[in-house]
Amino acid sequence: MTALTPSRGATTHSRPNVVDDGQRTLLRVTGVSKTFPGTKALDNVDFDVRAGEIHALVGHNGSGKSTLIKVLSGYHSPDPGALAWLDGEPVDITELGHGTHGAAGRLSFVHQDLGLVLEMNAIDNLALRGGFARTHFGRVKWREQNRAARRLMAPFAVDFDIHQPLSKATPVERTIVAIAAALQGWDSHGGVLVLDEPTAVLPPGEVHRLFKTVRALRDNGAGMVYVSHRLDEIFGLCDRVTVLRNGKEVATRDVAGLSKGELVHLMLGVEMQPDYRAPVPETVSTEPLLEVRGLAGVYLRNTTFALHRGEVLGIAGLPDSGRDELPRLLTDRSSMAYDGEVRVAGPSPRWTAFSAWKNDAVVLLPPDRGREGIISPMTVRENLTLSVLSRFGNPFRLDHRRERAFAAGWIDRLSVKTAGASSGVMTLSGGNQQKVLFGRTLARDPEVLVLCEPTAGVDIGARHAIYDFVAEQVRLGLSVIVASSDVGDLLALCTRILVLKDGVVAREMPAAGLTEHQLVHAMEGLESETQ
Amino acid sequence: MSQRAITSAPATDTTDADPMSQDAYTVSTADRVKAFLSPSNIGGVYVLLVMIVIFSIWVPDIFPEWDTAKQIMNTNAINALVALALIIPLSAGVFDLSVTATMTLSGVLCTYAVVNSGQPLIVGFLIAMGASVLVGVMNGVVVVVGKIDSLIATLATSFLVLAMVKWRTGSRNVSGVELSGSFTNIAQKAFGGLTLPVFYAVVLATIIWYVLEHTATGRRIYATGFNKEATRLASVRTERLRFGSLIVSSTLAGFAGIVLASNLGSGSPTAGTSYLLSAVAAVFLGATQLKHGRFNAWGTIIAVLILGTGTTGLGLAKVDQWAQDVFTGVVLIAALALTGLEVRRAGSESRRARSKRRSALTADGQVPSSTTVGTSA
Repeated sequence: MTALTPSRGATTHSRPNVVDDGQRTLLRVTGVSKTFPGTKALDNVDFDVRAGEIHALVGHNGSGKSTLIKVLSGYHSPDPGALAWLDGEPVDITELGHGTHGAAGRLSFVHQDLGLVLEMNAIDNLALRGGFARTHFGRVKWREQNRAARRLMAPFAVDFDIHQPLSKATPVERTIVAIAAALQGWDSHGGVLVLDEPTAVLPPGEVHRLFKTVRALRDNGAGMVYVSHRLDEIFGLCDRVTVLRNGKEVATRDVAGLSKGELVHLMLGVEMQPDYRAPVPETVSTEPLLEVRGLAGVYLRNTTFALHRGEVLGIAGLPDSGRDELPRLLTDRSSMAYDGEVRVAGPSPRWTAFSAWKNDAVVLLPPDRGREGIISPMTVRENLTLSVLSRFGNPFRLDHRRERAFAAGWIDRLSVKTAGASSGVMTLSGGNQQKVLFGRTLARDPEVLVLCEPTAGVDIGARHAIYDFVAEQVRLGLSVIVASSDVGDLLALCTRILVLKDGVVAREMPAAGLTEHQLVHAMEGLESETQ
Repeated sequence: MSQRAITSAPATDTTDADPMSQDAYTVSTADRVKAFLSPSNIGGVYVLLVMIVIFSIWVPDIFPEWDTAKQIMNTNAINALVALALIIPLSAGVFDLSVTATMTLSGVLCTYAVVNSGQPLIVGFLIAMGASVLVGVMNGVVVVVGKIDSLIATLATSFLVLAMVKWRTGSRNVSGVELSGSFTNIAQKAFGGLTLPVFYAVVLATIIWYVLEHTATGRRIYATGFNKEATRLASVRTERLRFGSLIVSSTLAGFAGIVLASNLGSGSPTAGTSYLLSAVAAVFLGATQLKHGRFNAWGTIIAVLILGTGTTGLGLAKVDQWAQDVFTGVVLIAALALTGLEVRRAGSESRRARSKRRSALTADGQVPSSTTVGTSA
């Protein structure tokens, strides 16, 4: 079995072995339901993937799309009554994800976390999925292994060292290794590749490289299931889209002829503007709350800015511009600023060195929810109250009643969807976990809230709820700094945007009326006055 | 700011809870009792009961006696003290392998002060406890300040501590007539057939349970153990907790060492080291009881009783010594495996379907990273 070669496929318009390829259905499931205690996660869903199409699967958190993926991968067994066909052949739906139907009927999955071992190099990672070439004595034939890895990676036209640990590769290179690993021994003409939010961690500049790969696979006759939260990707990449809402299949449509507004409408069931802007005050005081001058770190060189009271200040920039570093330097004691001073409004404001600054009133919402935010073995309540435990009772007694009441209040206020405050936090969807983290940070009554990637992996409905919630806090007097690789966050939420480039503030622009195009141009350092 | 603070604080942030919001989280007493008694919560107690029945049938003359029960408790009290010493650091995500070395040091120092230096008992006690605290500080410096993995670091410091023991004693037992009386009473005095260490263990378990369950510090300790980075960013001083947890374990180990020396009637340079394996076993087994995946005091006590009952029962049944170790090993593996299943089943999927599919899951990288005991350590 040779590896598929998308680069060749991209130039070949005829698709051998694919008879009437527009109609050939590689995978079809019907009547898929899945009941969990208390909820029906999937309700009689039909879904199919044709050869040579990219089929988007969308829906907000809790809509059932992850459950559907997990049914396909065999992680969940569906309720009785579900049927499945692979390439027209009826199969047992619980066996779909097992690859027991020969290469032609194979489903491959690239999950959001990619399933790679970052300490190891591409060769090892590919072999972990596909098996090692070994001598009779069990010694790994490394030369053969290297060749195999090169062969597998070749079609993707990426130029990086397969001998170095993946931790040194860029996110998109890792994603491509994961795809290559999933596609080993794959027949592109009969296979279905499921990509679960592949762009969630990719910087915007690298997304197109992934798209090129995905398109090439499609053009070679593969069927693709593409799960994403980002509308742009669905319109830029996909051929058909299936919308799930509350476990039901709302619609399956051709992307051509569908408008963004219609799709959002299908997802949410209400009319909602994709070019959404949170109701933040457009005019704010010019009274500086937090002034920073000469801030320097690893990426930042000499950053000077001021945050005004009641303002939402956006931080835009490419990955190495210092955009990710700025929130850390402002909030995290353990990250060291090499240089810089800060002045906070108060009765007697004065410049203080960063190293001596007690930044208790400046609180971070960390970017990596799983690693730095959620404490997964704990309950919703324990996650909510972690930062403010000293408010309940005294050091010698934690008042559980007050803690419960406090948590219940925040769950209500943030409309966190959970079976109860004592439920494990991992039973919540990503958007609801993010709400819990918002509660945890806001419970500290910060003066300045620093949001870092506030909507990563959060669906559009929860995203708007988060924007609205932040806007409400701002109207009540909170000042916010938002650093995000998602320009949608910045355009929806900010009053003013700083564009960082090479560690300094390159541009400063009011966010009202700003277009995505102008902002991206500014991030790339191009003059956007042509617009 | 104040304006926002008022409105942002949830309406229920007062002592009197809103009855509506409480409603959803209040479970009926019957349900709570049922949940408490369920095998997934206190399976160990049922295992213990089954064992008592089996041994009562197997050795009917000796086993089902109150004296046997007392003997089990008396002989395992020191095990329990060592195991309890491990709970706090393990909950904070720190391994302290040096507890038994500290224990040995403490016993030797205390007896040495009393016998060789002719000091009063209280001075010997204070010297031993002071040295134990210092070992904790050393561990803290190496693990927390030096950022060395706690498993290796405390293994290394154990060698240093044991080196000090050898240097002080020349690898000989410290014994003398000065030790009889008040010193041996520390461990050997009995009330109603139960020796004092049993009471120490109960008191200590109560304190640890209270701290972990009913204080903010306890919650922060668990959070630190589960996800240090997230907890730190949530404004918890995780490094201080980790440092403190190592001092706690050394202090408790120091106390256990004095109790052990008192029990033996001498300061032995080797006696402590044999306690490590069974203590670690009991703590991990204990984490499968009562509080799923969390190290906890009463679960540990149950675990010590299970392991102690098993070995004592097998001993009374005149089974060879090695069989008792087989028993401990098998119980530990079985308990951890069952808990692993239990935790995964909590991911709302039937066990049958899951076991059928397990091989596929691993291939997909889909097994949820839920807390098994192993990962929380």
